[in-house]
Amino acid sequence: MNTFRQISQWRVVAASVCGTSHLKNKQLCQDAHDWQILPNNVLVIAVADGAGSASLGQVGAKIAVEAAIAHLAYQEISDEILAQDLLLSDLLTQTTLVARKSVIAEAAACNHEPHDLATTLIIMLATPFVVAVSQIGDGLAVAQDSTGGLSALTVPKCGEYINETTFLTAADALNTAQIKVWREKIVNIGVLTDGLQMLALNMIVGEPHKPFFLPLFAFVAQTEDKLIAQEELVKFLCSERISQRTDDDLTLVIAAFHH
Amino acid sequence: MLDTLKLDEVVEFAENPEPRCPCVLLLDTSGSMQGERIEALNQGLLSLKDELVKNSLAARRVEVAVITFDTSITVVQDFITADQFNPPILTAQGLTTMGAGINKALDMIQERKSQYRNNGIAYYRPWVFMITDGEPQGELESVIEKASERLQGDEANKRVAFFTVGVENANMTRLNQIAVRTPLKLNGLNFIEMFVWLSASMSVVSHSQLDEQVALPPIGWGSV
Repeated sequence: MNTFRQISQWRVVAASVCGTSHLKNKQLCQDAHDWQILPNNVLVIAVADGAGSASLGQVGAKIAVEAAIAHLAYQEISDEILAQDLLLSDLLTQTTLVARKSVIAEAAACNHEPHDLATTLIIMLATPFVVAVSQIGDGLAVAQDSTGGLSALTVPKCGEYINETTFLTAADALNTAQIKVWREKIVNIGVLTDGLQMLALNMIVGEPHKPFFLPLFAFVAQTEDKLIAQEELVKFLCSERISQRTDDDLTLVIAAFHH
Repeated sequence: MLDTLKLDEVVEFAENPEPRCPCVLLLDTSGSMQGERIEALNQGLLSLKDELVKNSLAARRVEVAVITFDTSITVVQDFITADQFNPPILTAQGLTTMGAGINKALDMIQERKSQYRNNGIAYYRPWVFMITDGEPQGELESVIEKASERLQGDEANKRVAFFTVGVENANMTRLNQIAVRTPLKLNGLNFIEMFVWLSASMSVVSHSQLDEQVALPPIGWGSV
């Protein structure tokens, strides 16, 4: 798998860390992420936040991201698909369905109800010229184009109350999915779970907070050593400045493309 | 290059308003509450404030409002975050216009929610905590029935979580007909323990993440 990474011009750094409230209660990290670089500079990312109220939320999150990435990795993502918004949306919807099926099958296999494995799911597919996202539940996906335009591709979707959201396992999950295709010269992308959204998004206007993302994008663009970069990102996510503001699990995936 | 780039020092955070967790205290100040009862209630309010401010997140997120009902309805305290809340000293007199009190509480919640929405403030499900030592008195039956219907509709639509606490001679059967959740009977005048519980419960709620169904602390101050 390193072959693709070496010739790819994508640089990716990703981390999920356990929130301080979960550490206090000796809970596992309920966030999960996975990503892969496919041929032709197609970067696929999946991020999930297992429900705190579900007994096996962390299992649901892990299965959802792995199933999504495995499914995308087996698809032939042709230029024709990449050229058409509708085909891209279909691909993401199919992938979401596959992830949903895997989570429900796992629930059945271990004698649980699907909602015991409730999780959110964000799937992103990015090339240097287009980015497509599908999101169920809360969290946030952003992209920056070559002119510096930073766009929120999705916004956190919660119910009326901040502690309610929709999950992949819900009966109407697919109907609630936010799907967006953005055609620009893509320079950066970012995906994160709800633990960071209050820090990364100006909630009133629904726009990404540039002073949050730009230093992170500069950081990932300069990344030489993947391991050191990941360590730095984990250190940042665990820093006191962040834990003062949020006690939830945190996931952040950032990537830069050198045109 | 990486050595000089410390993410912790360069990444800035968006300043969003804290999510709010509104709680209306709907308090019976009719004549029967005079003496020991109202004094114990006043002490209880002080302990609510003391407990809430012990938790820095709850102090910023929990918003308290106080409405009293006797012969008339008074908004003693409009919504205010716990850290700014100065507990009032209540006195007791007159009748028990509970139906009008319930309506006022539901009105205030509706209005507060629209203020939150207009200002991009996220919020948790509002609570009303009604405390009485009696039953509706001095109102038309139809007013009480309408208030009760509205309350049941609001509970069913998850617009509010409405808790009822009966003190000593409260008519628990009647209260049970008015509210959806089973009323709780306060042990003696144990308001302090009750408000400490309320504070702990609001703190749990105000810390809850998206999607969490919170388990409330066990109730040691009353019984069904």
